[in-house]
Amino acid sequence: MVRSESGTLTAQLRPGGGLERWAERHLRILMLAPTLLILAGLTLFPTVYMLTAALQKVSPDPSVPREFVGLGNFARMLTDPELHLAVRNTVVFTSVAVTLEFLLGLGLALLFDKYIRRLNFLKTILLVPMMIPPIAVALTWKLIYQPQFGVLNELMYRLGLPAQAWAGDVNLAMATIIAADVWEWTPFIFLLMLAGLASLPSEPYEAAQVDGASAWRQFWDLTIPFLKPVIAIALLLRIMDALRLFDLVFILTVGGPAGATETLSLYIFKVAFTFVDIGYAAAISLVVLFVTVGFSTWFIKRLRLAD
Amino acid sequence: MLAYLGMAFVLFITIFPVYWLAQNSFKLDIDIFAVPPVWFDFSPTLKHYEAAFIGQPFLTYAFNSLAIAMATTIVSLIFGTMAGYALARFEYPGQWRYQISFWILSTRMMPPIVTIIPLFIFFNFFNLLNTRLAVVVAYTAFNLPFVTWMMKSYFQDLPPELEEAAMVDGDTRWGAFLRIALPLARPGIAATAIFSLILAWNEFLLALILTQTERSMTLPVGISGRVTQYTTHWGEISAAGFLASIPIIIFALIVQKHLVRGLSLGAVKG
Repeated sequence: MVRSESGTLTAQLRPGGGLERWAERHLRILMLAPTLLILAGLTLFPTVYMLTAALQKVSPDPSVPREFVGLGNFARMLTDPELHLAVRNTVVFTSVAVTLEFLLGLGLALLFDKYIRRLNFLKTILLVPMMIPPIAVALTWKLIYQPQFGVLNELMYRLGLPAQAWAGDVNLAMATIIAADVWEWTPFIFLLMLAGLASLPSEPYEAAQVDGASAWRQFWDLTIPFLKPVIAIALLLRIMDALRLFDLVFILTVGGPAGATETLSLYIFKVAFTFVDIGYAAAISLVVLFVTVGFSTWFIKRLRLAD
Repeated sequence: MLAYLGMAFVLFITIFPVYWLAQNSFKLDIDIFAVPPVWFDFSPTLKHYEAAFIGQPFLTYAFNSLAIAMATTIVSLIFGTMAGYALARFEYPGQWRYQISFWILSTRMMPPIVTIIPLFIFFNFFNLLNTRLAVVVAYTAFNLPFVTWMMKSYFQDLPPELEEAAMVDGDTRWGAFLRIALPLARPGIAATAIFSLILAWNEFLLALILTQTERSMTLPVGISGRVTQYTTHWGEISAAGFLASIPIIIFALIVQKHLVRGLSLGAVKG
Protein backbone atom coordinates (compact mmCIF):
# COMPACT_ATOMS: atom_id res chain seq x y z
CA MET A 1 0.00 0.00 0.00
CA VAL A 2 2.70 2.40 1.11
CA ARG A 3 4.73 1.41 -1.93
CA SER A 4 2.24 2.39 -4.57
CA GLU A 5 1.16 5.54 -2.75
CA SER A 6 4.71 6.82 -2.60
CA GLY A 7 5.03 5.88 -6.29
CA THR A 8 2.11 8.04 -7.35
CA LEU A 9 3.18 10.78 -5.01
CA THR A 10 6.63 11.14 -6.55
CA ALA A 11 5.08 10.99 -9.98
CA GLN A 12 2.82 13.92 -9.19
CA LEU A 13 5.68 15.95 -7.78
CA ARG A 14 7.92 15.32 -10.75
CA PRO A 15 7.92 17.74 -13.60
CA GLY A 16 7.47 16.18 -17.03
CA GLY A 17 5.13 15.69 -19.96
CA GLY A 18 1.46 15.08 -19.36
CA LEU A 19 1.59 11.74 -21.11
CA GLU A 20 4.52 10.60 -19.03
CA ARG A 21 2.70 11.51 -15.87
CA TRP A 22 -0.45 9.83 -17.01
CA ALA A 23 1.54 6.67 -17.80
CA GLU A 24 3.26 6.73 -14.44
CA ARG A 25 -0.03 7.12 -12.62
CA HIS A 26 -1.61 4.22 -14.47
CA LEU A 27 1.49 2.04 -14.41
CA ARG A 28 -0.18 -0.73 -12.45
CA ILE A 29 -2.62 -1.21 -15.29
CA LEU A 30 -0.28 -0.46 -18.20
CA MET A 31 2.33 -2.99 -17.09
CA LEU A 32 -0.29 -5.69 -16.83
CA ALA A 33 -2.29 -4.78 -19.93
CA PRO A 34 -0.31 -6.50 -22.73
CA THR A 35 -0.27 -9.83 -20.91
CA LEU A 36 -3.96 -9.59 -20.04
CA LEU A 37 -4.88 -8.70 -23.62
CA ILE A 38 -2.85 -11.55 -25.12
CA LEU A 39 -4.24 -14.07 -22.64
CA ALA A 40 -7.75 -12.80 -23.24
CA GLY A 41 -7.12 -13.36 -26.94
CA LEU A 42 -5.93 -16.87 -26.18
CA THR A 43 -8.92 -17.75 -24.00
CA LEU A 44 -11.91 -15.56 -24.83
CA PHE A 45 -11.71 -15.58 -28.62
CA PRO A 46 -11.35 -19.38 -28.91
CA THR A 47 -14.10 -19.94 -26.35
CA VAL A 48 -16.55 -17.67 -28.16
CA TYR A 49 -15.57 -19.13 -31.53
CA MET A 50 -16.08 -22.66 -30.28
CA LEU A 51 -19.39 -21.81 -28.64
CA THR A 52 -20.75 -20.71 -32.00
CA ALA A 53 -19.08 -23.47 -34.03
CA ALA A 54 -20.29 -26.16 -31.63
CA LEU A 55 -23.89 -25.28 -32.46
CA GLN A 56 -23.33 -25.62 -36.19
CA LYS A 57 -22.60 -28.28 -38.72
CA VAL A 58 -19.54 -27.07 -40.59
CA SER A 59 -18.88 -28.72 -43.91
CA PRO A 60 -15.33 -29.43 -45.08
CA ASP A 61 -16.33 -27.65 -48.27
CA PRO A 62 -16.23 -23.91 -47.51
CA SER A 63 -18.82 -23.15 -50.19
CA VAL A 64 -21.47 -25.13 -48.30
CA PRO A 65 -23.14 -22.79 -45.81
CA ARG A 66 -23.02 -23.66 -42.13
CA GLU A 67 -26.11 -25.26 -40.74
CA PHE A 68 -27.45 -24.53 -37.27
CA VAL A 69 -27.91 -27.81 -35.42
CA GLY A 70 -28.51 -26.62 -31.86
CA LEU A 71 -27.20 -29.11 -29.36
CA GLY A 72 -26.89 -31.79 -32.04
CA ASN A 73 -23.11 -31.97 -31.77
CA PHE A 74 -23.34 -32.43 -28.02
CA ALA A 75 -25.98 -35.11 -28.39
CA ARG A 76 -23.71 -36.90 -30.85
CA MET A 77 -21.00 -37.11 -28.18
CA LEU A 78 -23.27 -39.32 -26.09
CA THR A 79 -23.48 -41.98 -28.77
CA ASP A 80 -19.99 -41.82 -30.27
CA PRO A 81 -18.19 -45.06 -29.38
CA GLU A 82 -14.83 -43.77 -30.63
CA LEU A 83 -15.08 -40.76 -28.32
CA HIS A 84 -15.96 -42.99 -25.37
CA LEU A 85 -12.95 -45.14 -26.13
CA ALA A 86 -10.74 -42.05 -26.27
CA VAL A 87 -12.06 -40.85 -22.91
CA ARG A 88 -11.51 -44.26 -21.38
CA ASN A 89 -7.97 -44.48 -22.79
CA THR A 90 -7.14 -41.00 -21.54
CA VAL A 91 -8.39 -41.80 -18.04
CA VAL A 92 -6.55 -45.15 -17.95
CA PHE A 93 -3.34 -43.60 -19.24
CA THR A 94 -3.47 -40.65 -16.85
CA SER A 95 -4.24 -42.64 -13.73
CA VAL A 96 -1.75 -45.45 -14.35
CA ALA A 97 1.11 -43.29 -15.67
CA VAL A 98 0.82 -40.58 -13.00
CA THR A 99 0.54 -43.15 -10.19
CA LEU A 100 3.64 -44.98 -11.36
CA GLU A 101 5.57 -41.75 -11.89
CA PHE A 102 4.61 -40.56 -8.43
CA LEU A 103 5.58 -43.77 -6.62
CA LEU A 104 8.85 -44.13 -8.51
CA GLY A 105 9.74 -40.46 -8.23
CA LEU A 106 9.05 -40.33 -4.51
CA GLY A 107 10.90 -43.61 -3.92
CA LEU A 108 13.96 -42.40 -5.82
CA ALA A 109 13.94 -39.08 -3.99
CA LEU A 110 13.81 -40.83 -0.60
CA LEU A 111 16.61 -43.13 -1.67
CA PHE A 112 18.75 -40.20 -2.73
CA ASP A 113 17.93 -38.14 0.30
CA LYS A 114 18.90 -40.89 2.70
CA TYR A 115 21.59 -42.99 1.11
CA ILE A 116 23.18 -41.34 -1.85
CA ARG A 117 23.44 -37.72 -0.79
CA ARG A 118 27.06 -37.37 -1.81
CA LEU A 119 26.64 -38.57 -5.37
CA ASN A 120 25.14 -35.36 -6.63
CA PHE A 121 26.12 -35.79 -10.25
CA LEU A 122 23.90 -38.88 -10.46
CA LYS A 123 20.88 -36.66 -9.91
CA THR A 124 21.81 -34.71 -13.00
CA ILE A 125 21.93 -37.89 -15.08
CA LEU A 126 18.52 -38.94 -13.79
CA LEU A 127 17.02 -35.68 -15.06
CA VAL A 128 18.07 -36.21 -18.67
CA PRO A 129 14.85 -37.89 -19.95
CA MET A 130 12.62 -34.93 -19.18
CA MET A 131 14.96 -32.51 -20.95
CA ILE A 132 15.00 -34.34 -24.27
CA PRO A 133 12.46 -33.01 -26.78
CA PRO A 134 9.33 -35.20 -26.52
CA ILE A 135 9.61 -35.97 -30.22
CA ALA A 136 13.09 -37.47 -29.66
CA VAL A 137 11.74 -39.45 -26.70
CA ALA A 138 8.98 -40.86 -28.88
CA LEU A 139 11.44 -41.80 -31.65
CA THR A 140 13.80 -43.42 -29.18
CA TRP A 141 11.07 -45.66 -27.85
CA LYS A 142 9.76 -46.42 -31.33
CA LEU A 143 13.23 -47.69 -32.13
CA ILE A 144 13.39 -49.81 -28.97
CA TYR A 145 9.90 -51.25 -29.50
CA GLN A 146 10.54 -52.18 -33.15
CA PRO A 147 9.15 -55.72 -33.53
CA GLN A 148 11.74 -56.92 -36.08
CA PHE A 149 15.05 -55.41 -35.04
CA GLY A 150 14.15 -53.64 -31.77
CA VAL A 151 16.36 -54.13 -28.77
CA LEU A 152 13.42 -55.01 -26.51
CA ASN A 153 12.59 -58.13 -28.46
CA GLU A 154 16.27 -59.07 -28.36
CA LEU A 155 16.01 -58.86 -24.56
CA MET A 156 12.90 -61.07 -24.64
CA TYR A 157 14.78 -63.59 -26.76
CA ARG A 158 17.73 -63.67 -24.36
CA LEU A 159 15.33 -64.21 -21.46
CA GLY A 160 13.73 -67.05 -23.39
CA LEU A 161 10.44 -65.18 -23.80
CA PRO A 162 8.39 -64.88 -27.00
CA ALA A 163 8.84 -61.77 -29.15
CA GLN A 164 5.99 -59.23 -29.06
CA ALA A 165 4.58 -56.68 -31.47
CA TRP A 166 4.66 -54.11 -28.60
CA ALA A 167 3.16 -50.85 -29.87
CA GLY A 168 1.44 -52.86 -32.62
CA ASP A 169 -0.34 -55.22 -30.23
CA VAL A 170 -3.83 -54.22 -29.07
CA ASN A 171 -3.18 -55.55 -25.57
CA LEU A 172 0.29 -54.09 -25.15
CA ALA A 173 0.08 -50.76 -26.98
CA MET A 174 -1.22 -48.75 -24.02
CA ALA A 175 1.42 -50.27 -21.75
CA THR A 176 4.17 -49.23 -24.17
CA ILE A 177 2.91 -45.64 -24.18
CA ILE A 178 2.69 -45.62 -20.39
CA ALA A 179 6.22 -47.05 -20.05
CA ALA A 180 7.66 -44.37 -22.33
CA ASP A 181 5.80 -41.64 -20.46
CA VAL A 182 6.96 -42.98 -17.10
CA TRP A 183 10.53 -42.94 -18.40
CA GLU A 184 10.15 -39.37 -19.58
CA TRP A 185 8.38 -37.84 -16.56
CA THR A 186 9.38 -39.76 -13.43
CA PRO A 187 12.44 -37.44 -13.25
CA PHE A 188 10.10 -34.48 -12.92
CA ILE A 189 8.39 -35.90 -9.82
CA PHE A 190 11.79 -37.00 -8.53
CA LEU A 191 13.09 -33.44 -8.80
CA LEU A 192 10.09 -31.86 -7.06
CA MET A 193 10.20 -34.45 -4.25
CA LEU A 194 13.94 -33.90 -3.74
CA ALA A 195 13.30 -30.19 -3.35
CA GLY A 196 10.49 -30.91 -0.91
CA LEU A 197 12.67 -33.27 1.14
CA ALA A 198 15.49 -30.72 1.21
CA SER A 199 13.23 -28.17 2.88
CA LEU A 200 12.00 -30.46 5.69
CA PRO A 201 12.66 -29.10 9.19
CA SER A 202 14.89 -31.34 11.32
CA GLU A 203 13.43 -30.69 14.81
CA PRO A 204 10.33 -32.89 14.53
CA TYR A 205 12.51 -35.80 13.41
CA GLU A 206 14.82 -35.34 16.37
CA ALA A 207 11.82 -35.33 18.67
CA ALA A 208 10.45 -38.44 16.96
CA GLN A 209 13.80 -40.17 17.39
CA VAL A 210 13.74 -39.38 21.11
CA ASP A 211 10.26 -40.85 21.32
CA GLY A 212 11.55 -43.95 19.54
CA ALA A 213 9.28 -43.69 16.50
CA SER A 214 10.03 -46.19 13.75
CA ALA A 215 11.32 -45.05 10.35
CA TRP A 216 7.96 -46.02 8.84
CA ARG A 217 6.03 -43.94 11.41
CA GLN A 218 8.32 -40.97 10.81
CA PHE A 219 7.75 -41.26 7.08
CA TRP A 220 4.00 -41.58 7.43
CA ASP A 221 3.39 -39.03 10.22
CA LEU A 222 6.05 -36.43 9.40
CA THR A 223 7.44 -36.66 5.87
CA ILE A 224 4.18 -37.16 4.01
CA PRO A 225 2.26 -34.36 5.79
CA PHE A 226 5.18 -31.96 5.26
CA LEU A 227 5.45 -32.89 1.61
CA LYS A 228 1.73 -32.59 1.01
CA PRO A 229 1.78 -29.21 -0.79
CA VAL A 230 4.64 -30.28 -3.07
CA ILE A 231 2.94 -33.59 -3.78
CA ALA A 232 -0.28 -31.78 -4.66
CA ILE A 233 1.46 -29.46 -7.12
CA ALA A 234 3.46 -32.28 -8.68
CA LEU A 235 0.30 -34.33 -9.19
CA LEU A 236 -1.65 -31.38 -10.57
CA LEU A 237 1.02 -30.58 -13.17
CA ARG A 238 1.47 -34.20 -14.19
CA ILE A 239 -2.28 -34.87 -14.42
CA MET A 240 -2.80 -31.76 -16.57
CA ASP A 241 0.00 -32.86 -18.91
CA ALA A 242 -1.10 -36.48 -19.05
CA LEU A 243 -4.64 -35.45 -19.96
CA ARG A 244 -3.33 -33.76 -23.11
CA LEU A 245 -1.01 -36.57 -24.18
CA PHE A 246 -0.29 -36.22 -27.88
CA ASP A 247 3.36 -36.50 -29.01
CA LEU A 248 3.97 -40.05 -27.80
CA VAL A 249 0.84 -41.55 -29.33
CA PHE A 250 1.21 -39.56 -32.53
CA ILE A 251 4.64 -41.07 -33.16
CA LEU A 252 4.37 -44.48 -31.52
CA THR A 253 0.90 -45.68 -32.52
CA VAL A 254 -1.17 -42.88 -34.10
CA GLY A 255 -3.92 -44.04 -31.74
CA GLY A 256 -3.90 -47.59 -32.98
CA PRO A 257 -4.09 -50.50 -33.12
CA ALA A 258 -7.89 -50.46 -33.34
CA GLY A 259 -8.09 -47.29 -31.24
CA ALA A 260 -6.34 -48.95 -28.29
CA THR A 261 -4.23 -45.85 -27.62
CA GLU A 262 -6.42 -43.10 -29.03
CA THR A 263 -6.45 -40.20 -26.58
CA LEU A 264 -8.77 -37.21 -26.41
CA SER A 265 -6.17 -34.86 -27.91
CA LEU A 266 -5.56 -37.21 -30.80
CA TYR A 267 -9.26 -37.75 -31.39
CA ILE A 268 -10.03 -34.01 -31.45
CA PHE A 269 -7.07 -33.58 -33.81
CA LYS A 270 -8.49 -36.24 -36.13
CA VAL A 271 -12.04 -34.93 -36.05
CA ALA A 272 -10.88 -31.38 -36.78
CA PHE A 273 -8.09 -31.90 -39.28
CA THR A 274 -8.65 -35.31 -40.86
CA PHE A 275 -12.45 -35.47 -40.99
CA VAL A 276 -12.65 -31.63 -41.06
CA ASP A 277 -15.72 -31.76 -38.83
CA ILE A 278 -15.11 -28.43 -37.09
CA GLY A 279 -18.49 -28.16 -35.35
CA TYR A 280 -18.20 -31.55 -33.69
CA ALA A 281 -14.53 -30.98 -32.80
CA ALA A 282 -15.52 -27.67 -31.21
CA ALA A 283 -18.22 -29.36 -29.15
CA ILE A 284 -15.79 -31.98 -27.81
CA SER A 285 -13.17 -29.30 -27.18
CA LEU A 286 -15.60 -27.23 -25.16
CA VAL A 287 -16.46 -30.13 -22.91
CA VAL A 288 -12.79 -31.02 -22.45
CA LEU A 289 -11.98 -27.38 -21.73
CA PHE A 290 -14.80 -27.11 -19.23
CA VAL A 291 -13.76 -30.25 -17.37
CA THR A 292 -9.99 -29.56 -17.25
CA VAL A 293 -10.23 -25.87 -16.40
CA GLY A 294 -12.91 -26.67 -13.83
CA PHE A 295 -10.74 -29.33 -12.29
CA SER A 296 -7.59 -27.20 -12.21
CA THR A 297 -9.49 -24.19 -10.88
CA TRP A 298 -10.78 -26.26 -8.00
CA PHE A 299 -7.29 -27.61 -7.40
CA ILE A 300 -5.54 -24.22 -7.54
CA LYS A 301 -8.11 -22.70 -5.18
CA ARG A 302 -7.71 -25.58 -2.78
CA LEU A 303 -3.94 -25.19 -2.78
CA ARG A 304 -4.24 -21.39 -2.51
CA LEU A 305 -1.58 -21.16 -5.23
CA ALA A 306 -2.59 -17.72 -6.42
CA ASP A 307 -2.01 -15.99 -3.06
CA MET B 1 24.08 -52.25 -0.84
CA LEU B 2 20.63 -52.96 -2.21
CA ALA B 3 20.14 -49.22 -2.62
CA TYR B 4 23.22 -49.01 -4.81
CA LEU B 5 22.16 -51.94 -6.93
CA GLY B 6 18.74 -50.38 -7.42
CA MET B 7 20.42 -47.11 -8.30
CA ALA B 8 22.63 -48.75 -10.89
CA PHE B 9 19.56 -50.32 -12.47
CA VAL B 10 17.69 -47.01 -12.54
CA LEU B 11 20.68 -45.24 -14.06
CA PHE B 12 20.96 -47.90 -16.74
CA ILE B 13 17.26 -47.57 -17.65
CA THR B 14 17.64 -43.80 -17.75
CA ILE B 15 20.68 -43.68 -19.95
CA PHE B 16 20.29 -46.68 -22.20
CA PRO B 17 17.53 -45.31 -24.49
CA VAL B 18 19.50 -42.12 -25.10
CA TYR B 19 22.62 -44.12 -25.81
CA TRP B 20 20.67 -46.35 -28.18
CA LEU B 21 19.31 -43.39 -30.15
CA ALA B 22 22.75 -41.80 -30.38
CA GLN B 23 24.38 -45.07 -31.38
CA ASN B 24 21.85 -45.70 -34.13
CA SER B 25 22.57 -42.34 -35.64
CA PHE B 26 26.16 -43.49 -36.28
CA LYS B 27 25.25 -46.92 -37.70
CA LEU B 28 24.98 -47.93 -41.32
CA ASP B 29 21.49 -49.10 -42.28
CA ILE B 30 22.69 -52.67 -42.43
CA ASP B 31 23.71 -52.46 -38.75
CA ILE B 32 20.53 -50.64 -37.71
CA PHE B 33 18.39 -53.44 -39.11
CA ALA B 34 20.67 -56.25 -37.93
CA VAL B 35 19.09 -59.09 -35.95
CA PRO B 36 20.34 -59.57 -33.27
CA PRO B 37 21.17 -55.87 -32.72
CA VAL B 38 24.78 -54.83 -33.08
CA TRP B 39 25.98 -53.47 -29.74
CA PHE B 40 29.55 -52.30 -30.18
CA ASP B 41 31.06 -53.86 -33.24
CA PHE B 42 30.02 -51.58 -36.07
CA SER B 43 31.87 -49.13 -38.27
CA PRO B 44 30.64 -45.65 -37.36
CA THR B 45 29.42 -43.40 -40.14
CA LEU B 46 28.36 -39.78 -40.48
CA LYS B 47 26.21 -40.68 -43.48
CA HIS B 48 22.93 -39.98 -41.66
CA TYR B 49 24.06 -36.60 -40.41
CA GLU B 50 25.00 -35.77 -43.97
CA ALA B 51 21.63 -37.01 -45.25
CA ALA B 52 19.75 -35.09 -42.58
CA PHE B 53 21.51 -31.82 -43.08
CA ILE B 54 22.46 -31.81 -46.73
CA GLY B 55 19.92 -34.06 -48.46
CA GLN B 56 17.06 -32.90 -46.20
CA PRO B 57 16.13 -29.38 -45.09
CA PHE B 58 16.80 -30.14 -41.43
CA LEU B 59 18.99 -27.08 -41.24
CA THR B 60 16.00 -24.97 -42.31
CA TYR B 61 13.86 -26.69 -39.64
CA ALA B 62 16.53 -26.07 -37.02
CA PHE B 63 16.80 -22.44 -38.04
CA ASN B 64 13.00 -22.05 -37.84
CA SER B 65 12.95 -23.66 -34.41
CA LEU B 66 15.73 -21.40 -33.17
CA ALA B 67 14.22 -18.21 -34.62
CA ILE B 68 10.77 -19.06 -33.25
CA ALA B 69 12.12 -20.01 -29.82
CA MET B 70 14.14 -16.80 -29.56
CA ALA B 71 11.39 -14.48 -30.76
CA THR B 72 8.87 -16.17 -28.45
CA THR B 73 11.23 -15.84 -25.52
CA ILE B 74 11.98 -12.17 -26.12
CA VAL B 75 8.34 -11.17 -26.54
CA SER B 76 7.05 -13.21 -23.61
CA LEU B 77 9.87 -11.99 -21.37
CA ILE B 78 9.10 -8.33 -22.10
CA PHE B 79 5.38 -8.63 -21.38
CA GLY B 80 5.60 -11.32 -18.72
CA THR B 81 8.26 -9.49 -16.71
CA MET B 82 6.18 -6.31 -16.62
CA ALA B 83 3.07 -8.24 -15.62
CA GLY B 84 4.98 -10.22 -13.00
CA TYR B 85 6.38 -7.02 -11.53
CA ALA B 86 2.95 -5.39 -11.46
CA LEU B 87 1.43 -8.38 -9.66
CA ALA B 88 4.31 -8.54 -7.19
CA ARG B 89 4.45 -4.84 -6.30
CA PHE B 90 1.17 -3.02 -6.94
CA GLU B 91 -1.99 -3.05 -4.95
CA TYR B 92 -5.24 -3.51 -6.82
CA PRO B 93 -8.67 -2.68 -5.47
CA GLY B 94 -10.58 -5.45 -3.76
CA GLN B 95 -9.76 -9.00 -4.76
CA TRP B 96 -8.44 -8.04 -8.19
CA ARG B 97 -4.83 -8.94 -7.63
CA TYR B 98 -5.74 -12.41 -6.49
CA GLN B 99 -8.31 -12.86 -9.25
CA ILE B 100 -5.92 -11.78 -11.99
CA SER B 101 -3.08 -13.96 -10.69
CA PHE B 102 -5.46 -16.84 -10.47
CA TRP B 103 -6.80 -16.35 -13.96
CA ILE B 104 -3.30 -16.12 -15.45
CA LEU B 105 -2.33 -19.34 -13.71
CA SER B 106 -5.46 -21.09 -14.90
CA THR B 107 -4.77 -20.30 -18.58
CA ARG B 108 -1.64 -22.40 -18.20
CA MET B 109 -3.92 -25.38 -17.66
CA MET B 110 -5.68 -25.07 -21.01
CA PRO B 111 -5.09 -28.08 -23.27
CA PRO B 112 -3.51 -26.73 -26.50
CA ILE B 113 -5.64 -28.95 -28.75
CA VAL B 114 -8.72 -27.16 -27.45
CA THR B 115 -7.58 -23.72 -28.58
CA ILE B 116 -5.79 -24.79 -31.72
CA ILE B 117 -8.91 -25.01 -33.90
CA PRO B 118 -9.93 -21.35 -33.39
CA LEU B 119 -6.27 -20.30 -33.67
CA PHE B 120 -5.99 -22.20 -36.93
CA ILE B 121 -9.09 -20.47 -38.31
CA PHE B 122 -7.79 -17.14 -37.04
CA PHE B 123 -4.38 -17.48 -38.69
CA ASN B 124 -5.98 -18.84 -41.83
CA PHE B 125 -8.19 -15.76 -42.01
CA PHE B 126 -5.17 -13.45 -41.84
CA ASN B 127 -3.18 -15.61 -44.24
CA LEU B 128 -0.59 -16.38 -41.60
CA LEU B 129 -0.63 -20.17 -41.71
CA ASN B 130 2.80 -21.62 -42.47
CA THR B 131 4.58 -18.55 -41.20
CA ARG B 132 6.96 -18.33 -38.29
CA LEU B 133 4.97 -15.33 -37.06
CA ALA B 134 1.89 -17.49 -36.40
CA VAL B 135 3.90 -19.96 -34.35
CA VAL B 136 5.54 -17.15 -32.37
CA VAL B 137 2.13 -15.62 -31.57
CA ALA B 138 0.72 -18.98 -30.45
CA TYR B 139 3.80 -19.85 -28.37
CA THR B 140 3.88 -16.41 -26.78
CA ALA B 141 0.28 -16.82 -25.69
CA PHE B 142 1.08 -20.19 -24.13
CA ASN B 143 4.38 -19.04 -22.56
CA LEU B 144 3.10 -15.84 -20.99
CA PRO B 145 1.40 -17.38 -17.96
CA PHE B 146 4.59 -19.27 -17.21
CA VAL B 147 6.88 -16.24 -17.54
CA THR B 148 4.51 -14.02 -15.56
CA TRP B 149 4.42 -16.48 -12.70
CA MET B 150 8.16 -17.06 -12.64
CA MET B 151 8.88 -13.34 -12.63
CA LYS B 152 6.16 -12.60 -10.08
CA SER B 153 7.80 -14.97 -7.63
CA TYR B 154 11.28 -13.56 -8.30
CA PHE B 155 10.14 -9.99 -7.71
CA GLN B 156 8.30 -11.04 -4.57
CA ASP B 157 11.58 -12.39 -3.23
CA LEU B 158 13.39 -9.08 -3.87
CA PRO B 159 13.16 -6.55 -1.05
CA PRO B 160 11.12 -3.52 -2.24
CA GLU B 161 13.20 -1.09 -0.14
CA LEU B 162 15.77 -0.39 -2.86
CA GLU B 163 13.10 0.69 -5.31
CA GLU B 164 11.44 2.78 -2.62
CA ALA B 165 14.76 4.49 -1.88
CA ALA B 166 15.20 5.30 -5.57
CA MET B 167 11.72 6.79 -5.70
CA VAL B 168 12.36 8.88 -2.60
CA ASP B 169 15.41 10.18 -4.46
CA GLY B 170 13.10 11.35 -7.23
CA ASP B 171 13.01 8.39 -9.61
CA THR B 172 9.67 7.35 -11.06
CA ARG B 173 8.15 3.94 -10.39
CA TRP B 174 8.91 2.93 -13.97
CA GLY B 175 12.49 4.21 -13.59
CA ALA B 176 12.90 2.24 -10.39
CA PHE B 177 11.64 -0.86 -12.19
CA LEU B 178 14.07 -0.38 -15.08
CA ARG B 179 17.14 0.70 -13.13
CA ILE B 180 16.77 -1.14 -9.82
CA ALA B 181 14.40 -4.10 -9.98
CA LEU B 182 15.30 -5.44 -13.44
CA PRO B 183 19.08 -5.63 -12.85
CA LEU B 184 18.47 -7.30 -9.48
CA ALA B 185 16.18 -9.87 -11.07
CA ARG B 186 18.73 -10.76 -13.75
CA PRO B 187 19.35 -14.35 -12.55
CA GLY B 188 15.60 -14.95 -12.53
CA ILE B 189 15.23 -13.46 -15.99
CA ALA B 190 18.04 -15.64 -17.32
CA ALA B 191 16.52 -18.82 -15.90
CA THR B 192 13.06 -17.91 -17.18
CA ALA B 193 14.49 -17.18 -20.62
CA ILE B 194 16.15 -20.55 -20.85
CA PHE B 195 12.95 -22.28 -19.77
CA SER B 196 10.99 -20.41 -22.36
CA LEU B 197 13.55 -21.39 -25.00
CA ILE B 198 13.27 -25.04 -24.00
CA LEU B 199 9.46 -25.00 -24.05
CA ALA B 200 9.41 -23.43 -27.51
CA TRP B 201 12.15 -25.67 -28.87
CA ASN B 202 10.43 -28.86 -27.68
CA GLU B 203 6.83 -28.00 -28.61
CA PHE B 204 5.21 -30.22 -31.21
CA LEU B 205 1.40 -30.10 -31.44
CA LEU B 206 0.89 -26.40 -32.18
CA ALA B 207 3.72 -26.34 -34.71
CA LEU B 208 2.38 -29.48 -36.37
CA ILE B 209 -0.94 -27.79 -37.05
CA LEU B 210 0.30 -24.29 -37.85
CA THR B 211 3.18 -25.22 -40.16
CA GLN B 212 2.89 -27.62 -43.04
CA THR B 213 5.40 -26.35 -45.58
CA GLU B 214 9.06 -27.26 -45.57
CA ARG B 215 10.03 -23.62 -45.35
CA SER B 216 8.10 -22.99 -42.13
CA MET B 217 8.33 -26.30 -40.25
CA THR B 218 10.04 -26.55 -36.89
CA LEU B 219 12.52 -29.28 -36.07
CA PRO B 220 10.10 -31.61 -34.20
CA VAL B 221 7.59 -31.38 -37.05
CA GLY B 222 10.29 -31.91 -39.67
CA ILE B 223 11.63 -34.95 -37.87
CA SER B 224 8.18 -36.48 -37.44
CA GLY B 225 7.66 -36.09 -41.19
CA ARG B 226 10.39 -38.66 -41.77
CA VAL B 227 8.34 -41.30 -39.95
CA THR B 228 5.98 -42.46 -42.64
CA GLN B 229 3.47 -45.26 -42.77
CA TYR B 230 5.72 -47.58 -44.76
CA THR B 231 9.30 -46.56 -44.28
CA THR B 232 11.03 -44.84 -41.43
CA HIS B 233 14.40 -43.31 -42.10
CA TRP B 234 15.85 -44.54 -38.84
CA GLY B 235 19.40 -43.32 -39.30
CA GLU B 236 18.34 -39.86 -40.36
CA ILE B 237 15.73 -39.30 -37.65
CA SER B 238 18.07 -40.70 -35.01
CA ALA B 239 20.71 -38.20 -36.10
CA ALA B 240 18.24 -35.31 -36.12
CA GLY B 241 16.61 -36.37 -32.84
CA PHE B 242 19.93 -36.73 -31.11
CA LEU B 243 21.15 -33.35 -32.36
CA ALA B 244 17.89 -31.67 -31.32
CA SER B 245 18.37 -33.03 -27.80
CA ILE B 246 21.93 -31.86 -27.22
CA PRO B 247 21.41 -28.08 -26.93
CA ILE B 248 18.46 -28.61 -24.58
CA ILE B 249 20.37 -30.94 -22.31
CA ILE B 250 23.25 -28.46 -22.12
CA PHE B 251 20.85 -25.57 -21.48
CA ALA B 252 19.01 -27.49 -18.80
CA LEU B 253 22.20 -28.45 -17.01
CA ILE B 254 23.16 -24.78 -16.86
CA VAL B 255 19.94 -23.83 -15.10
CA GLN B 256 19.66 -26.99 -13.06
CA LYS B 257 19.50 -24.98 -9.84
CA HIS B 258 16.39 -23.20 -11.03
CA LEU B 259 14.76 -26.27 -12.55
CA VAL B 260 12.40 -27.09 -9.73
CA ARG B 261 11.14 -23.62 -9.33
CA GLY B 262 10.64 -23.06 -13.02
CA LEU B 263 8.86 -26.27 -13.75
CA SER B 264 6.46 -25.80 -10.90
CA LEU B 265 5.65 -22.23 -11.98
CA GLY B 266 7.42 -20.77 -8.98
CA ALA B 267 4.77 -22.24 -6.74
CA VAL B 268 7.22 -24.49 -4.92
CA LYS B 269 10.02 -22.68 -3.21
CA GLY B 270 13.00 -24.78 -4.26
